[in-house]
Amino acid sequence: MAERTDNLDAPLLAPIERTGPGFYWSVGALSVLVLWGAVAYWSQFSEGLGVTGLHQPVSWGFYVTNFVFFIGISHAGTLISAILRLSKAEWRRPITRMAEVITVMVLFIGAGQILVDLGRPDRMLNVIRYGRYQSPLLWDATSISAYLTASIVYLYLPMIPDIAILRDRLAKRKLLYTVLALGWTGSERQQRVLNRAIAIMAVLVIPIAVSVHTVVSFVFSMTLQPMWHSTIFGPYFVVGAIFSGIAALIVAMIAFRRAYRLQGYLKPIHFRYLGQLLLVMSLLWFYFTFAEYLTGYYGSEPEEMKVFWAKFSGPFWPLFWGMALTNFVIPVLTLARLGRHTVGKVLIASLSVLVGMWLERFIIVVPTLSNPRLPFGEGIYGPTWVEWGEMAGSFALFALFYLLFTKLFPVISIWEIREGRDVGLREVEERLLTYLPETGEPPVATTERGH
Amino acid sequence: MSEARPVPDRTVRIIQWAMAGVAVLFIGGIITWISHLIRTAWRLKDVPSASIGISLVAIPVFLILLSVILYVFWGLLGDGDGREQSPPRPAARAGGDPHGEAG
Repeated sequence: MAERTDNLDAPLLAPIERTGPGFYWSVGALSVLVLWGAVAYWSQFSEGLGVTGLHQPVSWGFYVTNFVFFIGISHAGTLISAILRLSKAEWRRPITRMAEVITVMVLFIGAGQILVDLGRPDRMLNVIRYGRYQSPLLWDATSISAYLTASIVYLYLPMIPDIAILRDRLAKRKLLYTVLALGWTGSERQQRVLNRAIAIMAVLVIPIAVSVHTVVSFVFSMTLQPMWHSTIFGPYFVVGAIFSGIAALIVAMIAFRRAYRLQGYLKPIHFRYLGQLLLVMSLLWFYFTFAEYLTGYYGSEPEEMKVFWAKFSGPFWPLFWGMALTNFVIPVLTLARLGRHTVGKVLIASLSVLVGMWLERFIIVVPTLSNPRLPFGEGIYGPTWVEWGEMAGSFALFALFYLLFTKLFPVISIWEIREGRDVGLREVEERLLTYLPETGEPPVATTERGH
Repeated sequence: MSEARPVPDRTVRIIQWAMAGVAVLFIGGIITWISHLIRTAWRLKDVPSASIGISLVAIPVFLILLSVILYVFWGLLGDGDGREQSPPRPAARAGGDPHGEAG
């Protein structure tokens, strides 16, 4: 039986056992972009922030936009995975690992943007020594630390049984897998411990994840700057984060499905469900955007209106309307009917949303600083090659980390797939019977739950 | 495939407990840092209520995270001796059931 399931799941271990030329080409290409980012950062580090397009009054540009964007993407993993686990959504099984990896990787990259934006990273020590909790920036530092810690734990715990499979099956990296498997044998006691820990983490990470992006929004909304001081910024940011997170997850799934030939695991039905979620989030995003801008427009406060018109018909109009197109029009048109070509349609919508959500973050950060409430002159922000390089390097670094992860660990949870085959089908049937009004409580399910 | 050099158990155990130690140091460091900021705010009369309010939420969260990590290390490594006696059975019903109904 074990032999049979081993062979069944061979495609999940294949990327770890064998490395094709595509992997090296990808690593090479991504490394070039990372190098460009490193050169750009070195230039900024040695010359100062003057080599960027940042100035007064626009002191936040690409770096803060990327920070908010990456932290938003991080909601793909832990939050989606935890919600699907807790709701016992059976279709989650091939998805959760990919989602959880995204979270951990982008949190590192996102937090790194702040170090880059500081110009002098040594000044981070001042935050550690003299930080003041009145500042929402420090709330951010605290909540992101908690989220990063929780996400690493939540990624690692469900990986333990898979690492034990690698330890027992592979001849290479024996020490790494033996250490990380924590002596896993699959005994009843170990399963109980792991189940309990995963359950606690699944419950814990949801409020932490929601709080993180709420606190990120507080960095803006706690100021009195026009079009930032908004009470709905917290939920607005959380909705946008989940929206972009789902899109990033779909893109990663499609990329690895093709690269590692995982069509048997990541089926059109998974993309259909995620596509439907993406559609719902697109509508929700539109609702929040509409409410946010209508409230500002109706109030007609002069400073607010300067920013409002800068976005609608001023220098930022291509970005604003581009955001509306990519976040709402394209996803709704492509996802409204998912009968045929599901994967292709969902991919188009997801790529569109990723562009749109980045534009949304930019549209929130820059126009307000360009039209400040205080009597500074107005300013237009134009990024230099340094910011473009750092941005390309950041995205490439994320992809590179992800790629390297897939060479060390299965990108789809093997034990969860096996569990689905062995006991999931029976459990779903029993659970389904308990939902239906006309059927009695089945005796098997009652026995299993033990009450 | 099975010709790999065996890894000494003692070395593995030391590294595993060192990982648990790193977790304690990391989370302990964050809690110490938060406490330091409260103390500084208190000493300078710099709105210590804000620091205390946030730390009342943050510190317990970090403590729960640390507890879960130590619980897993303790629970799994404490059962690790069974590895030599019973054949590996890493697959089927491991984790993932949020209500702990498995096992």
